Amino acid sequence: METNTSGQWVIVAQSHQLDRSRPLIPVTLDEKPFVLFRDEEGKLGLIGRHCPHRGADLCYGRLEDNGLRCPFHGWHFDRYGQCVEQPAEPEGSRMYTQIKVPMVPVKEENGAISAWMALEGDAR
Amino acid sequence: MISQELNDMITRIGPGTQAGAVLRHYWQPAALNDEMEDGLPVAVNLMGERLALIREGELLVLATRHCPDDAPSAQYPPSHEIEIDTSGPSYPAHEIKGIAFAYMGPGAPPPFPQFDCFRAPDSHVFAFKGLWHCNWLQALEIGIDPAHASFLHRFLQDEDQEDSYGKQFRDKAAHTNMPITQLLRDYPRPDIEVEETGYGLKITALRHMENDLTHVRVTNQIFPEAICIPMSREMTITQWHVPVDDETCYWYTIFTSFQKPVNKDLMREQRLKEHRLPDYAPLKNRENNYHYDPAEQAKLTYTGMGMDINVHDQWAVEGMGAIQDRTQEHLGRSDVAIIHYRRMLRRAIADLSDGRSDALPMQGDIAGLRGPLSNDAIADSKDWKAASHAVDLERRAACPWDASV
Ligand code: FES
Ligand SMILES: [Fe+2]
Repeated sequence: METNTSGQWVIVAQSHQLDRSRPLIPVTLDEKPFVLFRDEEGKLGLIGRHCPHRGADLCYGRLEDNGLRCPFHGWHFDRYGQCVEQPAEPEGSRMYTQIKVPMVPVKEENGAISAWMALEGDAR
Repeated sequence: MISQELNDMITRIGPGTQAGAVLRHYWQPAALNDEMEDGLPVAVNLMGERLALIREGELLVLATRHCPDDAPSAQYPPSHEIEIDTSGPSYPAHEIKGIAFAYMGPGAPPPFPQFDCFRAPDSHVFAFKGLWHCNWLQALEIGIDPAHASFLHRFLQDEDQEDSYGKQFRDKAAHTNMPITQLLRDYPRPDIEVEETGYGLKITALRHMENDLTHVRVTNQIFPEAICIPMSREMTITQWHVPVDDETCYWYTIFTSFQKPVNKDLMREQRLKEHRLPDYAPLKNRENNYHYDPAEQAKLTYTGMGMDINVHDQWAVEGMGAIQDRTQEHLGRSDVAIIHYRRMLRRAIADLSDGRSDALPMQGDIAGLRGPLSNDAIADSKDWKAASHAVDLERRAACPWDASV
């Protein structure tokens, strides 16, 4: 995976940690809480742990519909942290298109999962 | 999203804070009568202060007690270890309906409003409490958020209603055979109407169903930190979210029954099974992941944390962090009551700083306040308002105590 900012790949987990029926674990990066999960396509997502709605803990999220769903009001996120559904908002609302959880690029090689850590000053 | 400065202003409640000053203008639940059964003094941790209920002659008083600065938020030393600090403030207290309330504000305490929970005879009310490790405001905000019940409390299968006494959301939806759990699941996008009232907010959630029927659920925010909501056809819940300090709070509930006396032994036993004493901390908590079970989450409940909806609420509000970081939130249309409430709280803060304490809700004439109406009804979509009223009046008319409004 290519990125424009300067930084480095840092190993944050081992693939086998996700070898379970619910492939999701909490990860701390730079003292900030994230959640690492595998979606139904087998792809990894590393996104902020607090739901951008009212801050519920996505570590207890529902892994379904090829993404992660917050149990508080059902907001649904894909592996890029993009909100794709807000089932309690009025029919036809487009608010979800504007909602994104912080996302960190990840890669998986030889059983190790690495995150792209931007250098100081390059952070979001 | 709001600024950090504003988040601090509306959440922090210690002595000298602005939101703390608003809350101190109202009676605060300080302890359950159950806690006073073995005599006084009883330790109390309230509004960032270390206190104890004592008796001075006939009067119940909430006095300051000596306590090391680093003692845990919800530590309760036994009676014989409590030492009163006579140099600290002391406040009037009053026992009513199973709870000792205290008034920690300036001037004379306001009268108790004639709400159902205070009017019902002792036989028809039951009080309990539970500890949550988070700020009081996020605890209150989940109670004025009618949409969350369709998700957080979703049951993927409907429970048998036989075993439903004393539990929330286990009845059939008004006048139908549909379990409330199914109704909440099938109609997750309520229209929410919010109306400012003399006591706070009336919140109406409308779920438009098939055949021109509408489910109408009326809940209330009672200023500053309580809610009044229906529990079952028989009972309502009046619940205060009382700060212990900035990062800890108790819910105090008065369950109020219209028709039959409350089975207090059963209600107490159900709840004591889920809590430990003396701090009333829930046995399912952050330390044991709320007994989270992914298999259950896949098949049975939305959270995987069992059937007790109090645990779901507790997880939701504790998981936000000690004080929810509202600089990162994105409120939606479903949060309309929360938005309205924060506006009221900010107005009250502004009124106090202008020296207009009588402009706060319920600080003036409260003689006309009754109820508040708090129920579920299913009505023709055209006249849901009248139907909701009629169902409430019917219940009140059949009630053995004076519940007239
Ligand atoms: S807090 Fe996550 S959907 Fe509301
Ligand atoms: Fe709830």
